[in-house]
Amino acid sequence: MKKLLTSILTIFLAMAMVFGMTACGGTEDTGTDKDGNTVVKIMFHVDKTTTEAQAYQKRINAFNAAYKDQKIKAQPMFKARTAGASGYETELLNNQIEGTLADIVTFDAPNTAAYAKSGLLYDISKLIPQETQNKFYSLNKYEGKLYGLPIQESSAGFFYNKKIFAQAGINVDGITAENPWDFAKFKEICGKIKAVGKVAVDMRIDAVKDETAPYLLYPFIYAAGGSFTDSTGYKAEGYYNSAQTARGFQFIKDLISAGYTSYEIGATDFFTGKVGMYLSSGWTIPDLDNKYKATFASRDDWGLLPYPKDAVAASATGSWSYAITNNHHKDKTAIVELLNWMTSAESSKAITDATGMIPARKDVNNNYAQGTPEYTLLKQLEVSGKERPVTVAYPTFSTTFNQIISGLGKGEVSALLASATKTLQGEMDRLQKLHG
Amino acid sequence: MDKTLSKTLPNFRPKKTPAKKTVKEIIYHVVGIVLSLIFLFPIIYMIATSTKSESAYASSLGSVNMFLPDFANLGTMLDNYKNVLVNYDIWKYALNSFLYAIIVIVLNVIINGLAGYVMAKLVFPGKKLLSFLIIFLIVVPVETSIIPLYSIVKVMLGLKQQMSVIGVILPASISIFNIFLFTQFFEGIPKEYEEAARIDGANTMGVFMKVIMPLSKPIIATVAVFCFIGVWNDYLWPSMILPSADEGAWPLLPIQTALISIQSIEGITTGEIMASLIITSIPIFIIYVVAQKYIVQGFGTAGLKM
Amino acid sequence: MFNTTLIILAVFIIVFLGFAVYDLAVAKKRKQVYRAKSSLTAYLMLLPAVILAFLFILLPILYSLGYAFTDYYLLKPNEINFVWFDNFKDFFEELSTKGTLYNAIKNTLVFVVGVVPLQIGLALLLSLFVNRDGVGSKIFKVCFFAPVVISLSVTSFLWLQILAPGENGLLNALLGIFGIPPHDWLKDPNTAMPCIIILSAWQGCGYQMLIFLSGLSNIRKELYEAASLDGANGWRKFWLVTWPGLRSTFVYIIITVFIGACRILTQPMLMTGYMDHTVTLSYYMYQQGYVYRWVGYSSAVALLMTIFIGAITLIQRRIFREEK
Repeated sequence: MKKLLTSILTIFLAMAMVFGMTACGGTEDTGTDKDGNTVVKIMFHVDKTTTEAQAYQKRINAFNAAYKDQKIKAQPMFKARTAGASGYETELLNNQIEGTLADIVTFDAPNTAAYAKSGLLYDISKLIPQETQNKFYSLNKYEGKLYGLPIQESSAGFFYNKKIFAQAGINVDGITAENPWDFAKFKEICGKIKAVGKVAVDMRIDAVKDETAPYLLYPFIYAAGGSFTDSTGYKAEGYYNSAQTARGFQFIKDLISAGYTSYEIGATDFFTGKVGMYLSSGWTIPDLDNKYKATFASRDDWGLLPYPKDAVAASATGSWSYAITNNHHKDKTAIVELLNWMTSAESSKAITDATGMIPARKDVNNNYAQGTPEYTLLKQLEVSGKERPVTVAYPTFSTTFNQIISGLGKGEVSALLASATKTLQGEMDRLQKLHG
Repeated sequence: MDKTLSKTLPNFRPKKTPAKKTVKEIIYHVVGIVLSLIFLFPIIYMIATSTKSESAYASSLGSVNMFLPDFANLGTMLDNYKNVLVNYDIWKYALNSFLYAIIVIVLNVIINGLAGYVMAKLVFPGKKLLSFLIIFLIVVPVETSIIPLYSIVKVMLGLKQQMSVIGVILPASISIFNIFLFTQFFEGIPKEYEEAARIDGANTMGVFMKVIMPLSKPIIATVAVFCFIGVWNDYLWPSMILPSADEGAWPLLPIQTALISIQSIEGITTGEIMASLIITSIPIFIIYVVAQKYIVQGFGTAGLKM
Repeated sequence: MFNTTLIILAVFIIVFLGFAVYDLAVAKKRKQVYRAKSSLTAYLMLLPAVILAFLFILLPILYSLGYAFTDYYLLKPNEINFVWFDNFKDFFEELSTKGTLYNAIKNTLVFVVGVVPLQIGLALLLSLFVNRDGVGSKIFKVCFFAPVVISLSVTSFLWLQILAPGENGLLNALLGIFGIPPHDWLKDPNTAMPCIIILSAWQGCGYQMLIFLSGLSNIRKELYEAASLDGANGWRKFWLVTWPGLRSTFVYIIITVFIGACRILTQPMLMTGYMDHTVTLSYYMYQQGYVYRWVGYSSAVALLMTIFIGAITLIQRRIFREEK
């Protein structure tokens, strides 16, 4: 009775005290630890248990050993991206509110414009010598300033089933990244595959629920001589709906109309030998090496072809990058040391050796043999890599792109582009008003 | 014939012939089985897929084999389960969810039960405001509350790192809907019980503990089940709040959150995903089957007057 | 943030005191008395719930409400300005263009009108089906309930495989046996929403079935016997005894299913992505807030949605109460 009442009250007083302590106390983030080391916090977008995370951890440990005398300590945080609600971005932004934003964060390249414009990222143009900047295949730049350096590179191409190609009498000798096939040749080869009763190519036009379709298909628009926005990223009208852009989308639509690709291709159809070609990123290489032995026993059974060209050659590029944040640590010296370490040739090699992706730096020598898929992807990066549109309205661009691809089967390219441009331009206007 | 007999002999009820009854029973069960299959077939598909390796799954698509476990490879049928349990430490996350659930249930029943009792049985100034708030808060959608809630928990209350667990448990311990359920239920308890206890000298708290609670088994069971399911299925909020584990330390994540991040681990096969989904659904399923009776009872006695 | 919270807390306390004083005044008039000790006990027993509800339920809602009148852009959390009714102006402007927002509202209405009767009807039929003794009905009950156990995201993923276009899709494969050609169920604007309606009803009706069962168990057996004696057959028994007995259960169910249906988000998001023929209001709100980063505008949409749901709920309660 009375005892119970008093016990409930006590519990709540205790809780209140706990809250009070945690709210008032808590660790003061001064950037130095009790041993006098300058602590540099770096936040990664992957879960601790992944091979990628372990590769990062190894490099961090090496950094800490190397910089022990200089009293700099790197402290990694692993915050995995969760599907849907972009948990990583929420974490980033709430750290910003809290005032606990890490010194270095990783982020996806298309977000460069929006993050930079909103003041999240620190301008490192003057901190990274031009000579070093030139060593990267791509850079995270916005409005002429450098905001990030890529962790690793990503490229994509057309994986193909050698048996089916042989059956269809297709000879791909001479098609290389420096000398890619063109739209017409691509269609011709599709026709030959269809003639032997297989689905010609999986263009991934069903992958419109996330960034997959935009990432894999945007190069076709650049190849046709089209574009999406102007250089400021605030104007889509006249670019997104230009004739050349329409030409690029028309190419994809032609493939659908001719029956060379469709929305109905199953996710594993290429891997079970039903499809001749499969458009995908370098992430598919380990799958083909290890998972589908029944169809692809060895590399004799599959290969990689580059993106076809039209007016120009264009291929996909851009992946996750490092950036220094505009947090409360005004002295960036130690932070730049860590950034340089993580983007060095050594780190680049170590990380991509673990993940199987392509190194971000041109001076990392992996000695890929000519003709191997990795070699083709690397060459593509050098020769034809074009980044996705740089605009603060990137999420809207991505969504409208998916809507276009989804509607290509039944709809007219011009109508789809008109609608998408209107939406994107509207969003750009809104953002222009916000950013003033 | 039957109708006239009923009119003259009011208590006459013609017995159905045994044959007629059996036919009806058979029809009933056949219809039931067909309906059950309709409701179960996606789950059967899930179970079948969980026994397959990636290539077996790929080749089974488009045929009846989609529903059949991988009988061809009897020996490896449970491999996916083994992998998932061993390599991905699922049991740790499941244990976490159990612990969270138990704490949440206890807090929930006490806090919301007390509130429900007060709203049902006690009179005090300002009660109208609270009744209105209860109805109002049930209707409001929670989707946009997540952003401010995050700031409240992390910034204002400063619950970081390990303390974040409090940020998961406390918000789950208050539920306007449960208060509503408790209120409805307690309103149905006749005054006589309370009055008898008071005559025996018990004060309000005593009445609550000694009289009301023992009578409330159905509603407590209902609330407990809902809490368990809520905690077990919750993934978004914990994924935003809880830090990932330090090296060697016990992870803090609950099961669904762990599952989502497991699904994005490279190299995971469809079969393994299905296996992990089934593993996480089994406890809930068991709870539902066992607690069904209570749920039905709980709703029934609550009266459900909107 | 702390300061704003204190202000809100102060307002809340003042409002509460206002109500309390009013109650005291009314009591005085009626010559009733609030006993101090029992009131104090009531307050103490309520205290934990009130503190938690204030912190974790009321505050976030009020903040969200506040955001609705600002230009809160997610990437600029320190530059929030009050723009008052601009968000609402934008909302109605966007609506008038008959673009995505218009489709979102249309699709949501279609979904609600479709799923509410379907899910409730199924639940009712199933509850009547299993409302008898015997092992069979117990097993059937569990089977009908099984989909409820599976979370919405798993259900969406599962049905994606079922509704997949081409011959790999389960449904197409089954129909193929009867010679029906495959169809892209989720892409065709005419079939996408109906499919989502059906799978949502499939997933949820087991739960309402249980609630109906509890309602059925409250109907006194004697009423059925009386009806039998009056010569009523099965159908009339249902109409005269069962249906009236289920009234309050039914009202509860229709209100809760309606509210849930209005908020549909997971299924379109996981199954089709942000497309005009399946976008819903909740999805629009999510996309605007979390993906395009317009938290202020998104909160305004949430506010409008709440007002709409609240209004319909009140109307529903009024309608069903009058019929009594």
